[in-house]
Amino acid sequence: MSATATTDFVAAQKANRRNTMLLLAALTGIAAFTGYLVGWALEGELTDSVPLWSRAGLAIAAVLAVVSVVWSLISLVIGDRLVLGMASAKPISKEDAPQLYNVVEEISIAAGQPMPRVMVLETDALNAFATGSQVGNGTIAVTRGLLDTLTRDELQGVVAHEMAHLANLDTRYMVVVGVTVGLIALVCDVLLRTTAWGSSGRSSGSGKKGSGGGLLIIVLIVVAIVAPLAAKAVQMAVSRQREYLADATSVQFTRNPNGLISALGKLADKAAPFPGVSRATQHLFIVNPVQTFTSKTPALLATHPAVEDRIARLRNLGG
Amino acid sequence: MSFWIIVGVLAAIAVWLIAIYNGLVAARNQGQTAWSQIDVQLKRRHDLIPNLVQVVKDAMGYEQETLTKVVQARNAAAAATGPAQSGPAEAALSAATRGLFALVENYPQLKANDNIKQLQEELTTTENKIAFARQFYNDSVNAYNTRIQSFPAVVAAASLGFHPMELFNMPEAEREVPKVALR
Repeated sequence: MSATATTDFVAAQKANRRNTMLLLAALTGIAAFTGYLVGWALEGELTDSVPLWSRAGLAIAAVLAVVSVVWSLISLVIGDRLVLGMASAKPISKEDAPQLYNVVEEISIAAGQPMPRVMVLETDALNAFATGSQVGNGTIAVTRGLLDTLTRDELQGVVAHEMAHLANLDTRYMVVVGVTVGLIALVCDVLLRTTAWGSSGRSSGSGKKGSGGGLLIIVLIVVAIVAPLAAKAVQMAVSRQREYLADATSVQFTRNPNGLISALGKLADKAAPFPGVSRATQHLFIVNPVQTFTSKTPALLATHPAVEDRIARLRNLGG
Repeated sequence: MSFWIIVGVLAAIAVWLIAIYNGLVAARNQGQTAWSQIDVQLKRRHDLIPNLVQVVKDAMGYEQETLTKVVQARNAAAAATGPAQSGPAEAALSAATRGLFALVENYPQLKANDNIKQLQEELTTTENKIAFARQFYNDSVNAYNTRIQSFPAVVAAASLGFHPMELFNMPEAEREVPKVALR
């Protein structure tokens, strides 16, 4: 019986990792494409030709790659502070909350991961998050409300979900994805400005260009408007995949889907509102602290899958 | 020209063999580290049980038999060495302590005792840690054993000192639900 259960989460994780890789590839594709378009548009404006193979486009795509790496590194350092800087997060030792501390120790053994820092957020909302940019430097935080409400098994399921984020390095991964999406938004903004400048320059200027240029400008503008939205949608899809993966990994650690299932049921009702949470960190939490999602809400821009869907998938693992 | 091709192929084979060997060493070390983690938790449990017995001894005048069983199971488990011996002994100890906590339910003054609550939490977490460490150990051992029994490692594994490791099993049969008197 346990053998079939094991292959089930291995399969679930595999599928999730594959989906995530596809999504990341799509994101990188969008970034490179928009970067290339900017260079291409600039080259078209400056040399008064419409080259099919733009050197400026390649150069800007390369610059974007360097910028995204540097930006990612900076975000990784600052990201932790952003979420841990929330006024109510304070580190605890074993004496302050023995059961929580014990549960985190248990799960770090199950995951074969180093013991993370443990924090409690002084709020009645029911929620939990994990952060940490590298192995051995993680933090798991839960709210006071969660500690007071959940049973030991439920707490274990939630902590295992957070440990899964650390073990899968989701926290680092989502920072990198977030930076890429920010970069695309920036590039598209530049693209819009460039084309606006270019077309205004033309209307007052020599008027040498043919009508083909006008069509291309329209295409560029449409791309510049659509690309950031598409990137955002991809980012949110990645975020939802990582939540499913963390749920599956949580069960792999605890071998007990029921704890997480019943914890999610309780969290679904009482997660929001959560004062002092910025949108920049909402994807880190086990359930979204800013808004709630149900299967009926449009899922395209949701950070988390609907709790009903997560519970349905967990039940499949158990069965 | 063909000389350099042969040198290149030999070098590639050497790198490949080194990678296989190092992979085997890493897998064996992971298994050994995982076992030492189990060992730490087992010792901790063996240290906690006498405290528990001490606290409940006076209140449970009529239940000496259960207490004796727990102490005997604890001593047997502490004396066992290696996965093959420890497995059944630890399973018996789990069953005995579970039986004891079921009895504690019948004593309201014990149930409310902070010491007992704390000991119960510590024993629960230690049992969970043993279970999780066992899970991690068995996964590591399975991966290692599969490796040394698969081609190409199987050709030379035994002669290089890579022997299969034992799984740590706590037999299901001994983890029976304790009988609780219904009121």
